[in-house]
Order: sequence, then C-alpha cells, then structure tokens
Amino acid sequence: MIRRSDEDTAKLERALAEAHRSRQEPAFGADWVHHVMRDVRREKERAAMPFAGIAFVVWRGAAVAATVALIVAASSLVYTGQGEGELTALLSDDLEAAASLSE
Amino acid sequence: MADDREIIHRVLHGEIDLFAELITRHQRHVARIVSRHVPYDRAAEVAHDVFVRAYASLSNFSGRVPFEHWLSGIAVRTSYEFWRASRREELPVSALTTEHQQWIEHVLAAESDDRFREQARRREATELLDWGLSHLSAENRLVLTLVHLEGHSVREAAGLLGWSVANVKVRAHRARLMLRKLFRAREAQSHDTTQ
Repeated sequence: MIRRSDEDTAKLERALAEAHRSRQEPAFGADWVHHVMRDVRREKERAAMPFAGIAFVVWRGAAVAATVALIVAASSLVYTGQGEGELTALLSDDLEAAASLSE
Repeated sequence: MADDREIIHRVLHGEIDLFAELITRHQRHVARIVSRHVPYDRAAEVAHDVFVRAYASLSNFSGRVPFEHWLSGIAVRTSYEFWRASRREELPVSALTTEHQQWIEHVLAAESDDRFREQARRREATELLDWGLSHLSAENRLVLTLVHLEGHSVREAAGLLGWSVANVKVRAHRARLMLRKLFRAREAQSHDTTQ
C-alpha cells in the first residue's frame, strides 16, 4: 500500500482546490432571463392571492371529514345490526352531502 | 442607472419588470457560485431558482450588506437544497481509471507552479474531485467546498449557509478527513490491482 506523506496529501488537496476553482462557468442568455422573469411574475401573483390556497384546503378538509363521517356511520350501523334499508338511506344521504361539498 | 437598493425599492413598490435589471447585473455572480456547487448541466436551473427565491424574499433584504452578498447566501443555500433533494449517487471506483492514478502521480511530481497549475486544470482533476464529493452528504459537501476548496473562513461559510460556526467547523474537519480516507482507500485499491 502506498503511504503518502502529509506534504503529498496537502499538495493533492491544493491541486483539487485549484481544479475546483477552474471549473467552467455557464453563460445564460436573454431567454433565460425571460424565463426567470415569467416565474417571478407568477410568484407575485401567488403572493397576491394568499387565500386561494386556504380555500382549497378548507374544501378538501370538508370532503375528507364527510367521508370519515360516512365510514363511521356505516360501521356503527353494521356493528349495532340495524336494518339494511336504514343503512342504504343513510349512505345515500351522506354520499349526496359529500358530492355537493366537493363540487 | 439606479443602484441596486433603489431598484429593489421600486420593485417592492410594484415595478416588477425592474427585477430583470437585477438579474442581468448579478447573473454572472450567481452562475459562478452555483457552477462550483452543482453539476454544470444543472447550473442554469439552480440559478433560475436562486433569482425566484431572491424575489420572494426581497422584502427581507435589509440593505446592511450589498445585494450581491445577500444573493450569495441564497445561491449557496439553493445549491445545498439541490443536493438535499437529489438522491445521493456515489460514483463507483470503476468510474476512475489508471489515468486518474497517473494524474495523482504527475501532480505530486510537478515541481514548478506552472506545471502544477497545468495539471490541476486537467479533466482528470475535476473527475477525481467529483468522485470524492459524491461520497459526501449534502451538508459535508457544501461545507468542504466552501471552506477547503474555495478558502472561505468557517465564519463566512456559516454566514452563507445560515448555520452555526461550531456546526460548520466540525463538519469541515470531518468532511476533510472523509475525503482523505476515500483517496487513500482508492489509492490502496489501485495499487493492489496493479500488482
């Protein structure tokens, strides 16, 4: 096995640092600036409508809550052994409610 | 033409198109930073993110430091996010050839500064460096690059990354040892296979 001296290790590290500094730098054209500005304008529009995201979250949350309520109601009816007709009526009511929330 | 602070003030008051002037002025500076931290073919995309992030947090620019300096911090942290989001793919030892081993021998044998620099600018040098860096975590990679390859002080690197000085100091030391260990193991392996 080769045992390098500390001096060799330091020299190798200096060479790697020099290699790093001589890395090629990219040049961006006018198109690139145009694309960045397009996203900057989008960012401005997004920042101007902070409640758009909240409305989406509220409706999504309501739809999830309705679905969970439906599952709990259905499973409790099955567990308590109530009639099938009652279960079907309850399920259709809940499904209609969930559908109207997600519209 | 207006200085950076005046342009920023006007951008924040609705003249968004003036932000293009800031991009034009500072794109070379950002390109220089990101191209030293991320692969060459991803530099444009990362620099793009840097300016969008800069715009998004422009209201936080206090003006205590030059805009370019403030932008440097965003460029370094965006590069760090790039590596954090990328799946770490360690380049295998097979990515290195006898040419890389010969490069090490040549660079160590170089006696004049010119010969040394000429060797350091060879393709094998960056390939070997990229191989070593691919084995480091995003945190260690960034710290090692800033402190040991670019020569920033620990305090400067901590400022750019927004981390504590102690964290950067420990990582810089640890990352350097890891890289040395990697190169020693690689050399030992190469020596064993040639015998």
